[in-house]
Amino acid sequence: MIPLYGFLEGDTLGLLVLAGEQDTAAELARKLQDAAALRVAPAAHVRVWVRGEPLAPAVTVSGARLQALDRFDVRFDLRSNAQADARREEREP
Amino acid sequence: MLKREEWLDYGRDLDWDFSYVREEEAFPEVLAGRPWLPRAAWRDWDEPYRTTFSDYVTTQTEKDASVEAVREVVGRPEDYAKLPVEWKNGLKLHAATLPLAEFAAVVGNLRAARFGRTSAWRQTALFGALDELRHTQIPLVLMHELVSLDPQFDWTHKFYHSNNWVAIAARHLVDEMLLGVSAIEFAIATNFVFETGFTNLQFVGLSALAHSVGDKMFEKMVNSIQSDEARHSQIGAPVLATVVKHDRAYAQYLADKWFWRSWQLFAVVTGFAIDYLTPVENRTMSFKELMQEWIVDQYLRMLEEVGLERPWYWPTFEAALGRYHHMVYASAYSYRASVWFDLVVPGPAERAWLREKYPETWDEIDPIWERIGERWRRTDVGNDFGVHGTAIVGFCDLCQLVLCHGTTRRNSACVVEHAGRKLIFCSEPCRWIFEREPERYAGHKDVVKRVLAGEAPPNLVALLRRYFGLTFETWGKDAYRGDYPWIDRTGGVPR
Repeated sequence: MIPLYGFLEGDTLGLLVLAGEQDTAAELARKLQDAAALRVAPAAHVRVWVRGEPLAPAVTVSGARLQALDRFDVRFDLRSNAQADARREEREP
Repeated sequence: MLKREEWLDYGRDLDWDFSYVREEEAFPEVLAGRPWLPRAAWRDWDEPYRTTFSDYVTTQTEKDASVEAVREVVGRPEDYAKLPVEWKNGLKLHAATLPLAEFAAVVGNLRAARFGRTSAWRQTALFGALDELRHTQIPLVLMHELVSLDPQFDWTHKFYHSNNWVAIAARHLVDEMLLGVSAIEFAIATNFVFETGFTNLQFVGLSALAHSVGDKMFEKMVNSIQSDEARHSQIGAPVLATVVKHDRAYAQYLADKWFWRSWQLFAVVTGFAIDYLTPVENRTMSFKELMQEWIVDQYLRMLEEVGLERPWYWPTFEAALGRYHHMVYASAYSYRASVWFDLVVPGPAERAWLREKYPETWDEIDPIWERIGERWRRTDVGNDFGVHGTAIVGFCDLCQLVLCHGTTRRNSACVVEHAGRKLIFCSEPCRWIFEREPERYAGHKDVVKRVLAGEAPPNLVALLRRYFGLTFETWGKDAYRGDYPWIDRTGGVPR
């Protein structure tokens, strides 16, 4: 397992996340959101950012060249979340 | 009979030329500090109190008698029992972080009492050492009596001997500032920045709060300590002024480094106490207001007086005034079993007060408390671990505190490679301090690095018990066990 520093948008502190080399960005985001769920409600649409660039959800930890004690950020994908909210409102008026 | 002013200078400031050692040998740079200057450069050093040993003993005896008198009247366990629960926990925080740091300051002052460059400085530092011994003993005595009422007060003595994460951070600061630096750096770090800049004025604010909640014993204690600090802190400015004259860049570096380092721990201890661990109806000002009114203005004026600029990171510091201690408090609440005092969730009245006091930043923090309140609503009263973090938390490789700088939107932590190792810093000033003196800091491991090296257990409960030295009885809980009148457990949200 690779220890990484994760920073979730909306949270107050950085957490240590243990990731597998083949974990995808989506999996990494889920792990960090779970770890911070006491303070920040998990969002459906988020993006993982590494070295100032967003990762595609399927990119793996090794594919993103993330190494032990690197930093990654999980940020809300506001447009996707807004669209999802709008769809939910349409279904449940 | 000579009058006082006729003999005072001979008594307090009598130096002489060495005949069988060189001055550099009597005051080696490693202990006296740099820039190393001949005695003539320090000739004009002076401080305003000009105390004699006789004056000192008389005044201190009166002060001790006065503390003892208050203790006899209002220092009993039943007086403590009447205090608000939040305040009691702020007391535990101060009780642990204060006394043995003061004891380390005895050593720092004694170093200056030997290696300070004029005898007036050395004599004032000797009084400073005696002061700090008193500041160790008074809280130890007062808090020890409370251990039988609440075992968390045992941390008054235990704290600095433990590997608790807050103790690691506090020791990282205190060991360097009070034990590991030269007489010159001690005078600038401790006397000028920490005491004149922070604690001397902090005690005025804390005393007002103690008065407001009716804690007469604590009020008396901090007033008594403050009157000592006001005297011996005067060592700092004339030392700094001399260093500025001969090495301005180094003087600026020391002032800036120690202001940032002091601010970090100060924000945690005093920020928690003022904005969270004092009942809202007793609060006289916010932590930010205290900082702005009592500390920032005064510190900048002091810097100007000695011819220094404000620190390069001032915009970062000003932004942190409205955020940092809030971010650390919310994080500490989430991991409260890792500390030795209980914490509270700010309810609607507290949050309204905090919003009023922090109009620019509170909206970033408030959703965290909304979420935590909601979690308590779904959790049984007393089930602390139902509302508690479980992931391992990251720590700064300089200040050793949690990574809580920047904003909740963009945390300012940065990862840096140093000598083949990855290090993380909570803020640019922490990174800057490390990079100025890597040889001083690089050998120290933060809690995460200790876990990864197998020196500390990764499992949270094992970490709390075996490494942080806590037990179920002493680890921090919600001070109200989650049973807040504003949480409606009967309402629409199913358990």
